[in-house]
Amino acid sequence: MLQIKNLKAKIDNKEILKGLNLDIKPGEVHAIMGPNGSGKSTLSNVLSGKKGYSVSGEVKYLNENLLDLEIEERAHKGIFLAFQYPLEIPGVNTNIFLKTSLNAIKKAKGEKELDAIEFLKLVKQKAAELKFDEKILSRQLNVGFSGGEKKKNEILQMSILNPKLSILDETDSGLDIDALKTVSEGVNALRSKDSSFLIITHYQRLLDYIEPDFVHVLINGQIVKSGGSELALELESKGYESLS
Amino acid sequence: MIDQLKTDFDKTITNLKLSNKGIEIRRKSLNQFSENGFPNKRIEDWKFSDLNQIISSNIKGLNFYSNLTSDKVDESIFINKFKHNKIVFINGVISNIDLSHEDETKVSLSKNLDLDEDRKEVNPLISLNNAFTSSYIRVIVHENYSFNNPLIIYNISNNNLKSTALNLRTDIVLEKNTNLKLITLFDDNSENNFINIIQNFDIAQDAILKSYKIDHKKNSNIKYFYNNINLGKNSISENFIFSTGSKFIKNEVNCNLNDQFSSAFINGIINLTDTQHHEIKTNINHLAENTKSYQLIKSVLNDNSKGIYQGKIFVDAKAQKTNGYQLSKALLLNENTEFNGKPELEIYADDVKCSHGSTSGNLDEDSVFYLMSRGLSRQQSKELLINGFLMDAVEKITDFEIKDLIKDLMGIAE
Repeated sequence: MLQIKNLKAKIDNKEILKGLNLDIKPGEVHAIMGPNGSGKSTLSNVLSGKKGYSVSGEVKYLNENLLDLEIEERAHKGIFLAFQYPLEIPGVNTNIFLKTSLNAIKKAKGEKELDAIEFLKLVKQKAAELKFDEKILSRQLNVGFSGGEKKKNEILQMSILNPKLSILDETDSGLDIDALKTVSEGVNALRSKDSSFLIITHYQRLLDYIEPDFVHVLINGQIVKSGGSELALELESKGYESLS
Repeated sequence: MIDQLKTDFDKTITNLKLSNKGIEIRRKSLNQFSENGFPNKRIEDWKFSDLNQIISSNIKGLNFYSNLTSDKVDESIFINKFKHNKIVFINGVISNIDLSHEDETKVSLSKNLDLDEDRKEVNPLISLNNAFTSSYIRVIVHENYSFNNPLIIYNISNNNLKSTALNLRTDIVLEKNTNLKLITLFDDNSENNFINIIQNFDIAQDAILKSYKIDHKKNSNIKYFYNNINLGKNSISENFIFSTGSKFIKNEVNCNLNDQFSSAFINGIINLTDTQHHEIKTNINHLAENTKSYQLIKSVLNDNSKGIYQGKIFVDAKAQKTNGYQLSKALLLNENTEFNGKPELEIYADDVKCSHGSTSGNLDEDSVFYLMSRGLSRQQSKELLINGFLMDAVEKITDFEIKDLIKDLMGIAE
């Protein structure tokens, strides 16, 4: 699904990613762990198309050159980034935003757009699955949401948009244990043989709930070690120091 | 210009068939205007909007006399979302009054142009209007009566109107414990005119006036609105200014909170393109104890447009427990745009709560990225963010029908 070869990314002339390689196949869940400043968020930003980076290397996504695609085209083709810090968008109703987003993606795929009633039905169903209070959806997007509500809202968007490749950027940060469980259950419900996940995290905690197929350690812009889920436990006990 | 003024003045007073006393009063106003002319940027209140320059560069050979008669109303421009009463001005002439939804014994109207009352002349444009007022309507709502439906004053112009100064005036008098929703709606199909409108609101004890001024259709007219509001005890004045259509508008609101527990709300949006230039200027005078004022102005500037908000809160020495608030936020979408904010607080009482704020900035690129990462195009994301920015002020509208009308005009569908 995603093949990254020798990916380098600079911002303000500072090199953050220094030749990263990664191969994700359909149905796989990959976790990337690393200390602060190792380039985790840069990786998720570059994959979703955020401007401001000068990027080199190759990223193939479903046999297309991902780096040539605009931000919204990546979303249309099934890439979803769950933000570490979801933005507050004053004056924009959450439901209207979700509908605009879903229909933009459906339109790009040449599918029939949902009308208001079909959409509300879908949202109700997904919100119930995630134990997400649907009253929140009539509020302004993320405005005044608690940290947990913001993250749940990201997962709700993910479940409505039904992406092929989901990138979760420190989705566990700022979550209490109950919210962490709900969010993880949401992610697990979306696992299938066709959809892949890239989970970026500091801690092993999230991986207790979402079991990855592969764990990679990102240090100083490169993946220095890869392994199975047992690698996460090893890191938790020994720390990143032992690998750098 | 002076000769043109005098000739046009003589034509106007002949045409209007005024009493000798009425003519005398108007002549004084004419002299006031002649001495000063159109305000220019050397005058403090006009330093961001040099009207003299704006008129001379946009209107060739301005006429002060208009002999247009009222044309047929194109009914397709009427709002059909809700029932309402109508007063229709076409090219500055009153062509239709329809208050059929109301009890006619509770509402009085007057169109007498021969007013001999003492009119205040706070600036040359008021003098100009006083001298040349060609259409006038006074609506009096009698004690304890609430309008069943809103009143819409349509201000329509067609292409027969050219290079002309129109001077119109509306007075709304709400007696004790009355209630009115007023919409002043502009539909400009004319080009390069100067439209000068005075609105006077007298709101007595326990009365509520909600006034919505909507100028949304793109046009090349130059407009000045002066809105004077007097508030009695425990009365409310809610105002919303929708300022997006004309080439130039200066909306000036002077609001006197004359008695206890009166409150004034002035909210608005300015949304401009090309070389449009709009200003909102407010003077809120807290003249009694326990009065409240609230102002929120949101501006979005595209292309080479210019926006201005000058908001003044004055608190008299006896106006203790005043609560005054104003906030202006502007979004500048292009480096060629300009926004000027001038908040002013003048406070002579010691037990008051007053605050003001003003921000201006660009569209937040991180927010654009967030929306685009969900599949929205750059254009869609910008529109959503801009409308969201403006909605903050629109949400202050307390009447749901009218809020929906405004959202419709903004192209926001729910």
